Amino acid sequence: MSSLRIVPAESYTSSFTHIGPDERSKGAPSAPGLHDTLRAGVGPSPFAEAAGKPASAHPLEARLKQWEATREALRMETLRRTYGIAEPIRRGMELKITRDGEWRPMSLGGGSGPSVHEEILAGREDTITWEDVFTGEDSRADVPLHDEMERKLKM
Amino acid sequence: MPGFDFSNYNRNAALHARGVPLPKATSTGTTIVGCIFDGGVVIAADTRATSGPIVADKNCEKLHYIAPQIWCAGAGTAADTEFTTALISSQLELHSLSTGRKPRVVTCMTLLKQHLFRYQGHIGAYLVVAGVDPTGTHLFTVHAHGSTDKLPYVTMGSGSLAAMSVFETQWKTHLTRDDAVKLCSEAIQAGIFNDLGSGSNVDVAVITADKTTLMRGYVKPNERSAKLKSYAFEKGTTAVLNEKIIRKQDLGNYVSVHELSTTEEGDKMEVDT
Repeated sequence: MSSLRIVPAESYTSSFTHIGPDERSKGAPSAPGLHDTLRAGVGPSPFAEAAGKPASAHPLEARLKQWEATREALRMETLRRTYGIAEPIRRGMELKITRDGEWRPMSLGGGSGPSVHEEILAGREDTITWEDVFTGEDSRADVPLHDEMERKLKM
Repeated sequence: MPGFDFSNYNRNAALHARGVPLPKATSTGTTIVGCIFDGGVVIAADTRATSGPIVADKNCEKLHYIAPQIWCAGAGTAADTEFTTALISSQLELHSLSTGRKPRVVTCMTLLKQHLFRYQGHIGAYLVVAGVDPTGTHLFTVHAHGSTDKLPYVTMGSGSLAAMSVFETQWKTHLTRDDAVKLCSEAIQAGIFNDLGSGSNVDVAVITADKTTLMRGYVKPNERSAKLKSYAFEKGTTAVLNEKIIRKQDLGNYVSVHELSTTEEGDKMEVDT
């Protein structure tokens, strides 16, 4: 039985590493312990950002990153208890179809927040938040298309 | 990264661990009040903006528009109150367009408290929300951590204690519009004169079912008076000890002068007139 949690649990990390299997880059190929500045640049990694990984150990950031996911989990759990497992599965499938059909490379402005279709499915198309105004695209490092495809196709 | 940027947090924590002192927290100062009367609601605010011990703005606006019949008075971090009310105003407008109804004050209050609760008080917006909607007259306070109150008269900010003392002694049920405006402005003036974080003028907004009247500078008890004396010195006050006149054509005797050729590009660059 999954939980009916309405706010995210306090699960932020107390430590921070700039390097690791999925935190940022895997390090320079010739020196695995070092951050590959030439490839990954400085500042938070756009890939970790797109995956919803927090860029800091701040409790608020972890909370904000998990906020929508926690609300969504609560909605889905409520639907499951009311209508049975078919309802959340149907919604999950719709969401996945929308997400898969909407991919845009980061170099063309993709990867920053959900698409319109996704927002309609989540019932959030008539809301506006800080993330809609301050998209952070201006401070994001450039992601070459090849890097993104390599990651996406696990090459 | 979208939204709030936490990318400096780890750097700051690391610096603090190495002995760099944390920046001091800045205390904020304001007096804002609200009061319900028969047929509407009044909110009022002082107009002083401080940054630490310095008065940053002597006549700032602390009454924020949310919807035509819903207004908000803000205390706390000025940028946070300004942006939060603007954001909620947009959200409420989108919501009212989506539902095709006039926005309600409870909707606004719920949006505000949910938004502020999500940010755990890191958005320092302490608000008085007042308005008239089809369900009646409403007055709420919203704290930065997301807690709310519903009362017939409310005060907030560092001058809230001084202002509340006025309400507690003079407030009556079934006030008229003029009495409510007078009571609110008295309460703000108590804040202006007894709280160092509040000062300057009194702004008042009266919201009724038909219209909202914003009275900016309703009372100006701290008008800057003319100085008793003029401290501008007359010409020749300072004695001239010696005088030497060098004409422009003789300037070459003292410094080396190179004449620059004025090209067309040079003229174009000169944007000053």
